[in-house]
Amino acid sequence: MNVGTVLLGLAFGAALSGVGILGRAYAAEDDAGVEYVPKLTAAAAVLLVSALLHLTYQFVTTDYSNAYVWENTASYLPLLYRITGVYAANEGSVLLWAAIVSIVAMIAGAVRGISDQHAKLVHGLTLGLVAYFTGMLLAQSPFASIRTAFPGAPPGFVPTSGQGLNALLVDPYMAIHPPVMFISYALLAMPFAIGTAHFVSLFRGNGGVFPTWHGSVTRWLRLSWLFLTAAVALGGLWSYTVLGWGGIWAWDPVETAILIPWLFLTATLHAVTAYEPTGRYRVLAPAMTATAFALVVYTTSVVRSGVFRSVHSFADGGIGAAFLVLMGLTAALGVVLPVTYWLLETDDGDGDGGDDRWLRRANLVHLAVLGFGLLTFVSLWGLSFPLLRNAITGLEVSVEARYYNLWSYPLVLGLLLLLGFYMDYDADGRTRALAGLGVFTAATIVGAFVFPSETWQLASTRPNDALVYELVGSASAASVLPPVAYAILGTVKRTGGRIRAAASRDAKLKETGITLIHVGAALLVLSLPFMYVLAGQASVMATGVGDGSMDTTRQAVPGSDYSVRVLGHSRTEFPQDPAVGTYALSTDQVVRRGSSLNGSVQTVHGTVTDIREGPRATVVQLDGSSVWVGLAGNGTATPATTGERIVARGRLMWNFVPSADAVVLARAETVGPTADPPENVVPTRVVAEGVSLAVYEGDRLRASGIAGQRRYPEQGGMQVRDVVIDRGLVTDTYVIAGVSDGTASITVKQVPFVTLMRVAIVALLLGMSLVALFDPRHGAVTDTAIRAAARDTSPEVAD
Amino acid sequence: MKPRKAMTLAFFVVLLSIGYFSMHAAPTLSDENYSYHGDTRWQTNVTAAEETAAAEGKPIVVYFWTTWCTYCEDYNREVYADPAVQSELGDFVKVAVNLDDDGSESGRMQREYNINYPPQHVIITPDGEVLVRVNGYAGTEDFLSYLDAAEQRYASGGSI
Repeated sequence: MNVGTVLLGLAFGAALSGVGILGRAYAAEDDAGVEYVPKLTAAAAVLLVSALLHLTYQFVTTDYSNAYVWENTASYLPLLYRITGVYAANEGSVLLWAAIVSIVAMIAGAVRGISDQHAKLVHGLTLGLVAYFTGMLLAQSPFASIRTAFPGAPPGFVPTSGQGLNALLVDPYMAIHPPVMFISYALLAMPFAIGTAHFVSLFRGNGGVFPTWHGSVTRWLRLSWLFLTAAVALGGLWSYTVLGWGGIWAWDPVETAILIPWLFLTATLHAVTAYEPTGRYRVLAPAMTATAFALVVYTTSVVRSGVFRSVHSFADGGIGAAFLVLMGLTAALGVVLPVTYWLLETDDGDGDGGDDRWLRRANLVHLAVLGFGLLTFVSLWGLSFPLLRNAITGLEVSVEARYYNLWSYPLVLGLLLLLGFYMDYDADGRTRALAGLGVFTAATIVGAFVFPSETWQLASTRPNDALVYELVGSASAASVLPPVAYAILGTVKRTGGRIRAAASRDAKLKETGITLIHVGAALLVLSLPFMYVLAGQASVMATGVGDGSMDTTRQAVPGSDYSVRVLGHSRTEFPQDPAVGTYALSTDQVVRRGSSLNGSVQTVHGTVTDIREGPRATVVQLDGSSVWVGLAGNGTATPATTGERIVARGRLMWNFVPSADAVVLARAETVGPTADPPENVVPTRVVAEGVSLAVYEGDRLRASGIAGQRRYPEQGGMQVRDVVIDRGLVTDTYVIAGVSDGTASITVKQVPFVTLMRVAIVALLLGMSLVALFDPRHGAVTDTAIRAAARDTSPEVAD
Repeated sequence: MKPRKAMTLAFFVVLLSIGYFSMHAAPTLSDENYSYHGDTRWQTNVTAAEETAAAEGKPIVVYFWTTWCTYCEDYNREVYADPAVQSELGDFVKVAVNLDDDGSESGRMQREYNINYPPQHVIITPDGEVLVRVNGYAGTEDFLSYLDAAEQRYASGGSI
């Protein structure tokens, strides 16, 4: 058993004991042993973080005795990407997830304590998740020995080189996207526990948890939303630079999957904000809070179970089943429990307090919640129905981008109009707001018929299309302008009034945050359709690239204002001149590993100390040791002289001949001097091929750099793109080149509105940070004082 | 009816309609024996395709694709939907190999023709000799000329 497994085992024990103590204490209403729970939680957190650090250390030192390390890294990778390998597949990312949830549980337990029944239940559920994740890791461990990958290998066998990291993950964005995403997922564990505990508690007749924990839920949800938004943005920017699509979003199953919790979380935040203990959202807000985590698990199952194939379904296999079980459990607790309560216990789930007016702020917020609910459904259903249909009828159907685009588009426009109306109504009252809504709705409909050019149409329709596809597909992207303008105008105008009216600095900052979020969202919606609809591209071929006979004058790119100058060709192999120790074993290492190397193909290096020529073979001694290199043939092919440092690759035989421990059976072409090793001995991990070029628009230089591709020969010849992007204020110039067989096919794309999208993302993140920090009621900064004061007087209404 | 209840009911009506309509509007990708690309129908069973080709004396177009490949969508929309391409493809036996398929036939074809990314086409004789390779995306005109070249090579009994 290794250190990692021991750490995981102890963490599992600590978490499970904590759950056991809390479960008994809650059921029997007896506090025996509860004082140990904070210690057990802290122990679980420390152990899991230690396990994560231990795994990271194994990655940094490329310890290939660990199968997971061997599968996901290689020593040629720079330090950053060796660390990235930790969460490149299932086992590592579940460990990361488990570690963060355990830290969240520890902090939440320390801040609030686990004194009352409700707190015990919430803490028990959070710790239960930690125990489940840790159990998953024990079943399929990131610390499994290399023997699981090579069951037939002799004891002590350790490969000399790793498989390498998935080429798509070798990117700075991807180094931070997964941790940011898992932080957000882990933060949702608390809202899940609180929402679930609320309904369990209601069923047991103990009263709900939610009124007391409302502020806490709000803070956890906001923090999670902040990280999830950053994760979605980082993922989008990654696909923009790495995949060579010239787009940030492709409705790939995995990309759709992350949008599901994001949309639902947005809906949940609106519901939780509008929550009132005795009235509105009495059932819905806690129910949505509990459900969000179940959706995250569903999403992860989609990505990790191997059920869905996708351009970046990075991992599949056994851990998928454990995710499916977790999905069942969290769905039962987070979805079925609240729905059952709603059906059985509430005579009126509406809780409207008898107000029959249609036009009320509460109803408008409700519409927003429903609108986001529908958007979530569109993404969720698009992911799920092909599976359902295949299972039921055996027919495989395709979900195309237009399914998502055409169903989401009207919903998004509707939500923007609603946002404009809500803000206007809040600031200016009923009559004014209704008139505004009428004007902007009419403008939207008119906008749908405005086609400055054919490309403004949202989608090409086909014969036999469903009516809604024909209708929405034939609309113009111009229809997005009025709702965006309405939403921004309404929001900015209302903010002006509210900031003036706000009593404190914190309240003003919160209002600013809310404005930034809503304006950012509107700008994001504005940028997205135009990024695709108005993108233009044109291509040109350059021949003679390989032998330097290419045309280096400016060549016009047909069908565009662009011209291209190819300046040169480059082909680089990595690693370049690697130190011999990184790919070959020294004689000491060979002797130390002993018979475990028997029969494997190895590269060894050393100084020649003896050469013996026999009738059928020549043998060369290295470093005066018991390690010899054997070459078939009678001496004429000896490539080495005594005193020379050589490297040789071949099958290593242990105890092959009586006079030596190890003989490496090499061929003449796999032996050579260390200073200039034979090509087929040094491993090539990456072949980067590209052309250096300059792109002109008219006479103006727009972009220059090296465009091409990187091929990973040892990873099935996988390729990623090197693109040249000139980030313009209005339009990005995006150059892709495919270089092979002496020809470069160069495509120049114009991608508009990327800067606007970046601004929108910054506004979303900054806005939510302001709200999360400075909200006078539930802010992280201001709330501490209020909570401390409130707890002293009345613990039941701490928030 | 109270406003919020009415809104919630409307929500479920819209939700169910989206579910129902979208499920029926989705184009079929494959049934038991065929997969569909644009307006063309491709066999999915390689052995059966080889037998048909041998019996009818036609060359085989093997299309390597995946559901997530954007250039495959371009093929569906631009190339296979083109009537000229459809009629030209009538002279071939068409078989589509999904690169994500873990089956042994798919693996055999990938190894045999050294395929590691979509989309790629290999046009072969019934005996498996390569006539033409199309790596990556080719526009309608180019695709037609590839088909032409394959037919001419096949007629003259040659392969590359």
